Parts: sequence; structure tokens; C-alpha cells
Amino acid sequence: MVEILTSQVVSGLATGCVYALIALGFVLIFKATDVVNFAQGEFVMVSGFISYTLLIRFGIPYWLVLILTIVVSGFMGVILERVVVRPIMNAPIFSIVIATIGASTVLRSAAGIIYGYDVLPLPTIFSKDPVRLGVLNFTAMDVGVIGSSLVIMLILYLFFKFTKTGTAMRATAQSQTAARLMGVSVSRIFSLTWAISAGIGGVAGVLIAPIIYLDPNLGFIGVKAFAGAILGGFGSIPGAIVGGMLLGIIENLSGYFFNAGIKQVSTYILLILVLVIWPSGLFGAAPIRKV
Amino acid sequence: MKRLLDRAAVLGALIGLLVLTGSGPVWAEDGVTDKEVVVGAGMDLTGAVANWGVNIKAGMEAVFNRVNDAGGVHGRKIRLIAYDHVYQPPKAVTNAKRLVERDKVFVMMGHLGTPTTKAIKEYLEERRVPNIFPSTAASIWTTSGPWHIGDLATYADQTWMIIDHLVKDKKIKKIASFYQDDEYGLDGHLAGKARLKQHELAYVAEVDYKRADIDFSSQAAKLKESGAEAVILQAVYREPPRLAEQCHAIGYHPVFIGPSPIVVDKTIELGGKHVDGMMGVEVYPLPTEPGAFLDLYRADMKKYFPNLALDTTNLYGYQKAALFVEGMQRAGRNLTRDSVLKGIESIKDWDPGWGLKYSYGGDARRVMSRVGRLVVVKDGKWTKVGEWMELKEGGRR
Repeated sequence: MVEILTSQVVSGLATGCVYALIALGFVLIFKATDVVNFAQGEFVMVSGFISYTLLIRFGIPYWLVLILTIVVSGFMGVILERVVVRPIMNAPIFSIVIATIGASTVLRSAAGIIYGYDVLPLPTIFSKDPVRLGVLNFTAMDVGVIGSSLVIMLILYLFFKFTKTGTAMRATAQSQTAARLMGVSVSRIFSLTWAISAGIGGVAGVLIAPIIYLDPNLGFIGVKAFAGAILGGFGSIPGAIVGGMLLGIIENLSGYFFNAGIKQVSTYILLILVLVIWPSGLFGAAPIRKV
Repeated sequence: MKRLLDRAAVLGALIGLLVLTGSGPVWAEDGVTDKEVVVGAGMDLTGAVANWGVNIKAGMEAVFNRVNDAGGVHGRKIRLIAYDHVYQPPKAVTNAKRLVERDKVFVMMGHLGTPTTKAIKEYLEERRVPNIFPSTAASIWTTSGPWHIGDLATYADQTWMIIDHLVKDKKIKKIASFYQDDEYGLDGHLAGKARLKQHELAYVAEVDYKRADIDFSSQAAKLKESGAEAVILQAVYREPPRLAEQCHAIGYHPVFIGPSPIVVDKTIELGGKHVDGMMGVEVYPLPTEPGAFLDLYRADMKKYFPNLALDTTNLYGYQKAALFVEGMQRAGRNLTRDSVLKGIESIKDWDPGWGLKYSYGGDARRVMSRVGRLVVVKDGKWTKVGEWMELKEGGRR
């Protein structure tokens, strides 16, 4: 019983880490540009296909594929920002959000047209064989996914905290006008934010696609990650991470204690409950009222 | 008075016209003209079971293309209109209405998916459109009256075979069910429950999942806890490899066995070594076996769909269409919905040349074939372990 529960928590945490990465992508773009990018899930899907192509069709080694996928995904983020978002930056936020939903549909269909709607297996370097450590039951895959996610989060933290560009990005998130006055190129920061978010999506894609298989509908995982971001408090980076992880664990446990139907809705029930008690999410700042 | 008489004359003429048009050419059936027959299908071309949809459609079109190139059936070419329902019942309903009311299809042919076809069942009955060989072997199509007719042994029949094999041959008493929580999964699940009861047994665990679910770790945990020695997979091709992987991850290695939808190469491609030893029921031969009918299939697929690999999925569509064409041949030049159903029902011991014979009738099941055989994944391939067996009528009682 204990063993099974711990294995549920560990595998839930692995999925949750991927949710957390995608949620991070949502939050970074939102903080910097006030836009909710609903194509975030499609970044994950497209990067899955990119790594599939590089690995299977071109036979490039795994570590190089990982780097190339992140770079190519980053470029995709910049292109999306330049082509879809920037021209309508002054339009109401609502229109921009719809534009990102449009972009997600275009990306999904494009993947379908190029690769077909078949489910494809994506190889991974992590083994799916079981490992036992006392009461802990897990696979190398779980540990690999959790470890890689934590490393990416740490790199991001160091980047934001200790580099000049990172500081400029944080400044832009706080006040665009003030940042501009301090000599920060806000438009360059916007592009960079999209590149980083898409790049994180790329990592998420490489990590999750071998687990749940690759197909053009993979991007719908973004919806769950979005719920995770809200759970943690939309706009909060630690919130996105904790919210995503929590979501993965709760999903697994509710499936274990109840049935598939409850598992499917458990995240949303929890989301509603949390928002009723803490309207701004677990880590969200209390809204500042103007007087 | 004269005006009244005039009106009566006009009315009479109109009624006469109606009667005349009503009894016009006999093939004034929807979707049938002198030169063409239009058949409709709802497929999943972009969703969770798109691998089935794309391939079944191609298999059916391969037959229709060959028949059309040779001049059609009784001079009529067959045109297939297929819409994508993404394996979602509400979309299947919209598509069916579009096919019947706008495209005026003659029959629904090879409609994919149990929940999706069940969603349009009553509509088709209402519009009196035959539902011919839907791409679902649920027992509902074999027992629901004249407008529905299935082609192969049902999931219920197949599950009875699975249970009998596990209990009698393998002497396994602890059996669990992993099933899709809809009309598809329930067909085999409930039939299995009934058959177990006849063996004075019961499932040790009944674990469900939802269509398009992608994670089964909690199901794996429950199955392990139940101590089941065999798990019956009432699933499609995407879930069995993932479930097997997640069971193995917690050190649980039961016998996995399931009905025909899992017996596709995709299961092996996705699961790799984790599906080694997985068992299934096959209801028609493998694409690689010898036989005149399979030679024809391989030639047609190569000619019309050179980019698609030979696979049980497109062979499924292919044999359906071949059977339908045989039914149309028998219906003759005077083609109506009634005559095509009669044509299909007149098929007895028809042997297309692959060792399997098709017969309608003889029992209560509205199907054309009642056989199945067991297969197992060995060295990365589905390999037969038994011979063809006539399957008993599996029910839910």
C-alpha cells in the first residue's frame, strides 16, 4: 500500500514537473507582456515533432537533439511573437489571446498535415525499467524528468537573478515605462521572453512526448498546465512550479482512490476549491486596489 | 362554382404529378443514379484513433477504386464521402446529418467507433439508412434490427473466447478488466463478467479509463493490488502499451490479453519490449499471410496507396468494402436500400480466397463471420497461437 502510494506520488510528480514547465512558459509571457499565450501547449507538441525528426529521420545524437530542439523552439517563439502578436500589440488583450488560439490551431493542423495524425513513439535516454529504493518505487524516466525540470528551473532562476538581461526582463515585467527610461529595449525583451517560454516548452516536449507518445493533439496538455498555473496563482513563477507539480500528484492520487471519471475532473474541482478560498491562487499576490 | 372546379382540377393535376414522380424510376433511392452510388462514412481522421480511421478509409477506397476502374458494380461507380468525427459522438451526429441530408448518401458504410456509431444509431433508423459493417465489432450492431449489420465476431464473442482460454487453458482464476468507459469498452467488459459468472468466477478488479486518457499509473496500481494474474484490455492501440509500461514500472507482470482492436502493429511500435507476450484475438488473417484475396489486397494497396504500410487496420477496411461490393453485386441492377441489405443477407459460404468464409444467418447474430483465433506478440510481431475457431455467441447474460 505504502509502496504503491509512493510510486503514485513519484510518477505524478514527474508529470507534474512537465506541467510546471509549461505553466512557467505561460507565466513568463504573461508577466512580461500581459498576454496569455494559448499556443504554449503547441510549443510542446511542435518541439516533440522537431526532436522526432532530428532523432529518427536524421539520426542526430540525443544530447545534440535536445540543444537543437530548444534553439529551434525558441526561434519559433520569436517568429510567433513577431508575426502574430506584435502587429496587434495595441489591440485589446482579448484579441491577442484569440490570435494565440488561432496560432495554436494553425500549428496543430500543420503538424497533422506534415506528420499525419498517427501516434508516434519518441525515444528517450531514460529507461522505463523499475527501480526500488526502500519504499520508493520509480523508474529512471521519472527521476530523469524530475531532475531535468529542476535543472531548467534552476538555470532560469540564476538567469533572472544574476544576469543583466534577466534583470532587464524582471524590470520590464514590473514597469515597461520605467524599464524603457532606464535604457532597456522593451521590444527586444518581448522577443526574448517568447523565445525563453517556447524554449522551455521545447524541453517539456522532449520530456513528455516519450511518456505519453507524440501526436498533433499533444498540445492539449497545455490546458492542464494552464490550470496548474492558475492553481499556483497566475503571474507567480513559484506558483506555476508548485501548482503544476501539485496538479500532477493530485491527478494520480484521485485516479487511484476514485475512478477515471473523477480523475478527469479532479484537477478542475480542486482548482475551483482553491480559487474560492484563495481567489488569487496559492502564491498569487493579493490584488492591489486602487483608491 | 367554376372557380372551385378549376381549383379541383389543378389540385387533381398536382396529386397526379406527385403520384407519378413517386413511382418513377425504381432506383430513385437517395445516392443512387444510373452511373453512381454514393456511400457515406464517419471516420476519425485527426483524433485519438486516427490510425484506424485513416487506414480503414484507405482500405475501403482501394477496393472501390479497383471496382470503379473495372467499370463499377452493375455499371455504377462507387463514391465514398467520409467526414472526420475526431472520435467524438457529437461530431459524429453532425456529420451523419450532413451525409444523409445534404450529400444524400445511399448507405452508411464502415462508420468508425462504437460510441460514435451508437450516437447516430437512432438517427439512421429514423431516416431508414442502412448502417453497413460499421468499424466497430460491438454486439449492438448484430442485434439491433434490420438497419444494422456487422461484419465480424463481436467484442462480446471475442471476450468469451478470452475468458474460456484464460480459465480452461491457462487455469487462471484471478482475472481483471481494464476497459474504456463507453459503449465500446463496456461491450466486452460486461460480456466477460457474464462469462466469468458461468465459470462461477468474478473479476478481481474492474478498472476504467476515459477515451483519449494518456496516463494509467493509477489503473496500474489498482490492478497490481487486486493480484490479478491476467488483465483483459477492452482498449484500443494506444492504451495497452502505456498500461503495460506502467504496470512493469511497479514490478507487476500479468498476462495482458484483449480483443481485436489491440491487434495492430501500432501497439507493438509504441510499446516495444513492454508488449512482448501480450495476447489478442484476431478475427481475420494478417496482411502478410498467403492467399489470393490477400494478394489482391497487397496489389491494390500498392497501386492506390503506395505510401501506406500494409497493416491490419487497412486490411479491415479492405475486407469490409469487398464484402459490401459482393452484396451490391447480388442486389443486382435494381439497387435500393432494401435490395442491398437482401443482397448482403443472401451471402452464404462466400470465399474471397483467404481461408475465411463469410455467411449470413444460421443464428440470431446479424454478422458475416463468427471466427476468431488467438495471437501473441513474439519477437516484435503478432504471431498466431491457435487455429480459427467458430466463436460462441457471447452475451451480457
